[in-house]
Amino acid sequence: MSAKNKSVFTKEEELLLQDFSRNVSTKSSALFYGNAFIVSAIPIWLFWRIHMIDVYSSIISFIIVTLASTYLVAFAYKNTKFVLKHKIAVKREEAIAREVSRKLSEDKKMSRKEKDERILWKKNEVSDYEATTFSIFYNNSLFLALVIFISFYVLKTFSPALNYVLSIGIAGSILALLSTGTK
Amino acid sequence: MFHCKVLLCIAILSLISSSLGTVCSNPQIEAKTYTTQDGTVITNVAFVARFSLKCDNGARELPLYAEINGKTFPVVISGKEHYQVSWVEDVKTAKSGSHDVNLFDEEGYAQLRKAIRNNEDVSAVKPLSQIQVPHPGTYQGPWLNSEFLAVVLSLIVWYSAFSTKSKLLS
Repeated sequence: MSAKNKSVFTKEEELLLQDFSRNVSTKSSALFYGNAFIVSAIPIWLFWRIHMIDVYSSIISFIIVTLASTYLVAFAYKNTKFVLKHKIAVKREEAIAREVSRKLSEDKKMSRKEKDERILWKKNEVSDYEATTFSIFYNNSLFLALVIFISFYVLKTFSPALNYVLSIGIAGSILALLSTGTK
Repeated sequence: MFHCKVLLCIAILSLISSSLGTVCSNPQIEAKTYTTQDGTVITNVAFVARFSLKCDNGARELPLYAEINGKTFPVVISGKEHYQVSWVEDVKTAKSGSHDVNLFDEEGYAQLRKAIRNNEDVSAVKPLSQIQVPHPGTYQGPWLNSEFLAVVLSLIVWYSAFSTKSKLLS
């Protein structure tokens, strides 16, 4: 969407569009990548202390795998957030409308249009926040469950170094794949 | 000359009788036992019994044999009044509880061998004495190992997240 086209929309339309957009704000993008990095780096501890991987010889694979998995997990966060955001907006709409109109009821000067805009803006903010945090929680829990299961049961007989690369890789890929589904 | 022969005979007989006389009357046994209890890194459980044997007739350093579950083992003499017997069992077959060790002197051991050879009832041969080696059981790791617990807990967290997500999407 070009800047020229964007300027055609009214503020309300822009807010409505934001509700459905796949674009992620810089703030939530930073939140996603920061979280994805932490979650991708946590399994290093598991492999270091429990699987007894040789830390010094695996530093390169730690870096590469952590970065790749950060990308995959952040990708999953974004997709899950997009799926969730609109649904959450619909679910929370009524409550937000009620709350915002109660707050603005004293202000007689405010036009109906402006009130609606305020409601829409608030709804957007609430659903964005809820979708972001829930997406992080959901994907983190799935990623860590997959890593633990794959590393301890599926690839039990593999050497720790190979087990690390494969279990994080598989867990990240499954996470990214599952997030592309609409349900 | 004849006199000498008689003396020799008496000397030989007394030697024989002294060697046969290594029979312990009224044996008193004090035993200390040890068994392996941590089975996480081993394949066999060791049983060791060290005991002191006191006889009323003062017999010492007797050659003894032990019979455990139908198998015979030599008893090692360690020190003047101390003996030691040890054996191993596979971790899977080593039962917990008391393990009976039947001790035999040479005479009893001969009878035992004979009974085993002729497929007779081994328990009919009366042992010199008996030691009980208690074995509390071999520890083979926790009943729930930590990785299983970790997987179950992480799946519970994931399931709660999944059900919340399905509720939001419904």
